[in-house]
Amino acid sequence: MGQRLDLHAILVGITPNVYFQAPASINMQYPCLRYNWDDEETEFANDRPYNRRRRYSVTVIDTNPDSLIPDQVAALPLCVFDRFYTADNLNHYVYKLFF
Amino acid sequence: MAVLVWDAIGERFYETGVDHGVLYIPDVAGVYDNGVAWNGLTAVSESPTGAEPTAQYADNIKYLNLISAEEFGFTIEAFTYPPEFEQFDGLATPIVGVSVGQQSRGTFGLSYRTRVGNDLENEDHGYKLHLVYGCVASPSEKAYNTISDTPEAITFSWEVSTTPMAVPGLKPSSQLVIDSRTADPTNLAALETLLYGDELVDPALPTPAEIITLFTP
Repeated sequence: MGQRLDLHAILVGITPNVYFQAPASINMQYPCLRYNWDDEETEFANDRPYNRRRRYSVTVIDTNPDSLIPDQVAALPLCVFDRFYTADNLNHYVYKLFF
Repeated sequence: MAVLVWDAIGERFYETGVDHGVLYIPDVAGVYDNGVAWNGLTAVSESPTGAEPTAQYADNIKYLNLISAEEFGFTIEAFTYPPEFEQFDGLATPIVGVSVGQQSRGTFGLSYRTRVGNDLENEDHGYKLHLVYGCVASPSEKAYNTISDTPEAITFSWEVSTTPMAVPGLKPSSQLVIDSRTADPTNLAALETLLYGDELVDPALPTPAEIITLFTP
């Protein structure tokens, strides 16, 4: 299982505004990446958990409907598009990412 | 007179799990004196064959059944295997870091532990040690797939056939099972020290004769 801060560094390389499990009260700067722990897959061997992979939900939030940031997130290994929606005149691209 | 009781409290037994896999490598004399831990063991599926009846007829009736010899085989499934297992999977290592396939397959030993549970103590009720001798692994498929959006480790699988060893007073056998619920605890601890090693003893697989001697009062 990779370290969360390693993922954070990769995401900062895509856009400088990255927020991990950001509370609703935080004043985010756009475009940004907001991500949170979403799920975990566990494989078992020897009667115990043998290998764990944590899954994150990564949301690209951008005012630009033609943003190139979603393509950069989608190119990450073990990443797949989940859904798109708009809220408060902001475009939200949600991805599932194992890291 | 005894009255039969079904599913009494504390007697609702079941078996589950597999762990403590150990690969034993024989020396030139065939003594399994070198054990290594098998990480990532996910399943051992025992599949004995043989013991099939062949009907014999005489006097216009079925006269008797002749039973064929029984053979013990099993399948190992694991996420990985110890490097020492490569020689038993047809790989030779002429130089460190280089493996050559389609080589002769040696004979190895294996031990693994399964749990015995009941309704009071669950999986902590007891366990069985399974010791297998004279194992030869068959070539098996290894399907390497692309990494996708769902991480998934390959589960390797090997079919294994066995050659029985001599057992004092009984027919030759490839498999011994020691049940912690009935075996003498002191002797069981001594056997586990032999199987898994300690500061003074390297892991080794005793012969069936040695194990019977160990457990004989």
